[in-house]
Amino acid sequence: MSNWTRGKRRETRENEHENGSSGPSRWSHCRKRGVDGSLRANREEDAGREKGVHSDSRNASFTTPEGTGPVSRCGRKADWGSQVESDEMKRDVHRDMQRYRRRILGAEVTQRERKISSGSSGSCDSKEGEHIETDEAVLLRRQKQINYGKNTLAYDRYIKEVPKHIRQPGVHPKTPNKFRKYSRRSWDQQIKLWKVKLHAWDPPTEEGQDKVLDDIEELGIDDVMDIELDFPDFQNVPASLPTHSCSLGGEDDYSGTPVKIQKTETTVQPDLALWK
Amino acid sequence: MDNSAEEYRIQSLDMDTQMLLKTALKDPSSVNLEKVSDILVDQSLKDQVFSKEAGRICFTIVQAEANQNNGNVFRRSLLNRLQQEFKSREETRARSLQEWVCLVTFICNIFDYLKVNNMPMVALVHPVYDCLIRLSQPDALMNEEEVDCLVLQLHRIGEQLEKVNGPRMNELFYLLRDGFLLQEGLTSMARLLLLEILEFRAGGWVLSGTAHKYYYSEIAD
Repeated sequence: MSNWTRGKRRETRENEHENGSSGPSRWSHCRKRGVDGSLRANREEDAGREKGVHSDSRNASFTTPEGTGPVSRCGRKADWGSQVESDEMKRDVHRDMQRYRRRILGAEVTQRERKISSGSSGSCDSKEGEHIETDEAVLLRRQKQINYGKNTLAYDRYIKEVPKHIRQPGVHPKTPNKFRKYSRRSWDQQIKLWKVKLHAWDPPTEEGQDKVLDDIEELGIDDVMDIELDFPDFQNVPASLPTHSCSLGGEDDYSGTPVKIQKTETTVQPDLALWK
Repeated sequence: MDNSAEEYRIQSLDMDTQMLLKTALKDPSSVNLEKVSDILVDQSLKDQVFSKEAGRICFTIVQAEANQNNGNVFRRSLLNRLQQEFKSREETRARSLQEWVCLVTFICNIFDYLKVNNMPMVALVHPVYDCLIRLSQPDALMNEEEVDCLVLQLHRIGEQLEKVNGPRMNELFYLLRDGFLLQEGLTSMARLLLLEILEFRAGGWVLSGTAHKYYYSEIAD
């Protein structure tokens, strides 16, 4: 995202405050694109009258629009633009799957060789090849969720600030592996926690408190029991620094990259990093 | 071909529009891409030469947008606008043959230039066939303008189209064959064009040397 767009976004937001109008949730500001895929910056004026605002006055883009009902996502939209997009996503997913297979099978072979030489028992990854999620509908749904997470300013900032080679498992957000077999619940939880971690890279905001409230709204208190609930402290947060409102403890130092370890995934995942 | 062709095409527009398009090519996120797509479609429907080259401009903007922020706003609004035009094609044809020919030329040009992972856009395959099959109906074969457009499109994208959907290409060529053989009142130019395209496809989408000589060498006096 260009600086221009970001600057423009901030400008618009300030104007909103001046007018005393309550614009869309500030979450929508963190989205690069709206529901229809248009860049937000180009249509900021439209944001106020955006359709599909949730009953709790959240903006439509606040949530992944998947939960709206048991609608088939394949062929739902007849317009050419959407057709081409879903076509593109399907092909991408298939290409990813081929690459993943190749890598997994390659890894399996080397592991077997090692097993023969050292006689050690294989790890849980050794049978990876047989546990690939191949259901296209599931993969597309997962890819869409991942895309939603990546379609954020926070993600842009994250991949810029933390190059791949210095990312540490457990410390930095790691995109869930869409090719592994997971239950729907487990997957959704992984996505949720991934997004929560990504929020640490949200662009700096002026008022910390609103944001904290929003975060908690998104998290749901029961998702993370040990969340910091001491709101008033956040009012003292300097405006220019990113607020790590989504951290799960109170010991954040409000510097660029959070170093707090949040254990979300106990299984060891192969570092495949296919979905860049 | 290079940028100069784009430059030339863009110069046929007014100054403001030229500026907008040039910015769209360089920095797509800074302009209203929906407006840009409308301009390109409008101009293509008016100007047949433009409609033959607009695909390249569209391709460049799509690439630029994808590289800049992984976006596809332009492609989406271009395709959806095109779909609207496609839906009202019969009215367009009734209103203005020229505009109809421009529309077909433009859709085919977009089909030729815009690819998804190097593959033709599936969403456009049937619409493109629908247009070409419309051009192969008896009433359209009577218009040299439409026949000319039809064979030009087939020369450009016939092979790709056949690869993605062979049966419909057969359907199309049955019409052309029957039109060539049975239809009364075709102009000799239309007959020549049809014969050439029949031979072109029969030769595996290439024209043999002798055939080329036959169709393209000037008759010596």
